[in-house]
Amino acid sequence: MKIDFSGLESTAPLCGANSEMFDGISTSPSFQIPDTTDFDDFQKEAIQMVKPAKGTTTLAFIFKEGVMVAADSRASMGGYISSQSVKKIIEINPYMLGTMAGGAADCQFWHRNLGIKCRLHELANKRRISVTGASKLLANILYSYRGMGLSVGTMIAGWDEKGPGLYYVDSEGGRLKGTKFSVGSGSPYAYGILDSGYRYDMTVEEAAELARRSIYHATFRDGASGGVASVYYVGPTGWKKLSGDDVGELHYMYNPVEPTVVEQEMSEA
Amino acid sequence: MESVFGLVGADFALVVADSSAVHSILVHKSNEDKIMVLDSHKLLGASGESGDRAQFTEYIQKNVALYQFRNGIPLTTAAAANFTRGELATALRKNPYSVNILMAGYDKGTGPSLYYIDYIASLHKVEKGAFGYGSYFSLAMMDRHYRKDMTVEEAVELVDKCIIEIRSRLVVAPPNFVIKIVDKDGAREYAWRESIKDTSVPTA
Amino acid sequence: MSIFEYNGSALVAMVGKNCFAIASDRRLGVQLQTVATDFQRIFKIHDKLFVGLSGLATDAQTLYQRLVFRHKLYQLREERDMKPETFASLVSAILYEKRFGPYFCQPVIAGLGDEDKPFICTMDSIGAKELAKDFVVAGTASESLYGACESMFKPDMEPEELFETISQALLSSVDRDCLSGWGGHVYVVTPTEVTERILKGRMD
Repeated sequence: MKIDFSGLESTAPLCGANSEMFDGISTSPSFQIPDTTDFDDFQKEAIQMVKPAKGTTTLAFIFKEGVMVAADSRASMGGYISSQSVKKIIEINPYMLGTMAGGAADCQFWHRNLGIKCRLHELANKRRISVTGASKLLANILYSYRGMGLSVGTMIAGWDEKGPGLYYVDSEGGRLKGTKFSVGSGSPYAYGILDSGYRYDMTVEEAAELARRSIYHATFRDGASGGVASVYYVGPTGWKKLSGDDVGELHYMYNPVEPTVVEQEMSEA
Repeated sequence: MESVFGLVGADFALVVADSSAVHSILVHKSNEDKIMVLDSHKLLGASGESGDRAQFTEYIQKNVALYQFRNGIPLTTAAAANFTRGELATALRKNPYSVNILMAGYDKGTGPSLYYIDYIASLHKVEKGAFGYGSYFSLAMMDRHYRKDMTVEEAVELVDKCIIEIRSRLVVAPPNFVIKIVDKDGAREYAWRESIKDTSVPTA
Repeated sequence: MSIFEYNGSALVAMVGKNCFAIASDRRLGVQLQTVATDFQRIFKIHDKLFVGLSGLATDAQTLYQRLVFRHKLYQLREERDMKPETFASLVSAILYEKRFGPYFCQPVIAGLGDEDKPFICTMDSIGAKELAKDFVVAGTASESLYGACESMFKPDMEPEELFETISQALLSSVDRDCLSGWGGHVYVVTPTEVTERILKGRMD
């Protein structure tokens, strides 16, 4: 069974005709509707089956020199750690980054999709899309799928004609402009460090260290966050990866183990 | 929502608690003292259902006092914490109290100490501990800025940082907090941090 | 989430040549929040007998206190230490007492019996014994531990190699579990000595 939504096409990207031939890049991707009488119930079951990888710490903030973006790299299913090396900072284009919290597939797919749309905008208008515009594109798409079980909590950070830009976008359709965000299960911990250490006039080095440290403290207290703390910086010339430190080593760097006093050994007379 | 946290400094221990008495959407009062001075050198910070909290902490206080009367020596903090755990654990499989406890104390010899006891009666000696929604903010904050050799002033500065963070980041943040300290000179109220003034009950 | 996974734990015991090793993680958590990283889950009953208690922290503490109490009574009456087999039966009996309201613990027992023959066993929360010749595991990281032990274990290891093996098995297993880790605690027991070591591990 397929439902024809073509009448709603401008708002809802679901369309009945799902042919490969007409599925060009310029149109929104379409998804088949399941053949069922109880859609809500099916939806609930389906969500259980593709249980989104939850448990993340991501953060981003604007400061004097640009935007700092950081994230951990753990993916977990319940208590099981399914990966310690997930790329949660998605490179949309050389001037824009997205972060990933919630469903991994949902985030990856829609960021890639956003990347396409941004490039298309660039070709059509001969100028790069603004962070404001890009985040709104994403928010509108996510909003058109609201209530269908998408799980996305993302930050879009970048540099455009107006300077640094940062938006928080989620699958409920929320979109917030701001200077400091943290998303994911470890975010309250990260906020604690971030809020107490944040100054607008930080140098790039100071900001990178604050971002890294915030992620580290979140991974320490939050069981669902961990792995590698990666830090990206977006400046006037685009983004750059500054560091990717294994949190396992970071802990002992921040908390050096005091060498236990070895009892004086008896020297041979 | 309720926030109780505490830490151990150089020669003292300190407990902080919010002071809101809440029922569903209503705040009954905002100067409810949730940190009991258990005896001369012990503090008992408690969060949980208000009835259970009041009943249980008072029960512990009176029994610790009874022990002191009978034996002429006070319980150490460790002993009082283990006693509290025992009572909580026994109650757990009968009619459980839902109270989370941070017990701070100062003993001659051992110095200051802080015990974490949750409502299911897990007991653990900690340097810094927290309960409730505030714990998400205060724990990371304390991890970042805590040192073993903190002075009272430094510790209170850290506490203020935590309170500011809770007030600014927690949706259901309580307006007022009370800070109590225990050191070699005894357990006492140190300060209040109030953003809303509640009328205090006139004393006789 | 299961009540067994509320605090998070990882526990393993292995048999070597005339010796055994028992190891645990050090985390005390409340669901995904890490409360402390120096929690004790392995307890010494006597010089050649250890018990590890995985599962709910409060029940591990209660159970440990009851086991020590019963073992002390036994020592007074019999004027000797308990054999591991006997102790396992005691644990089993105490657990089954609570058949309809169990302690949410899965114990691991490891000891040296007659002629210093190593003995290890585990049981479920209501006391069904499961004896093993090679290794036993318990806790939230048990699936990973099975895999690690299955591939790393060799029969008749000397104490040094046994320590290395059990440590590697523990550390690699807890790295795949959100709810356990934050360091490790290992005991290697030979007829003549007990070595206790704290392992550094990933703190995330």
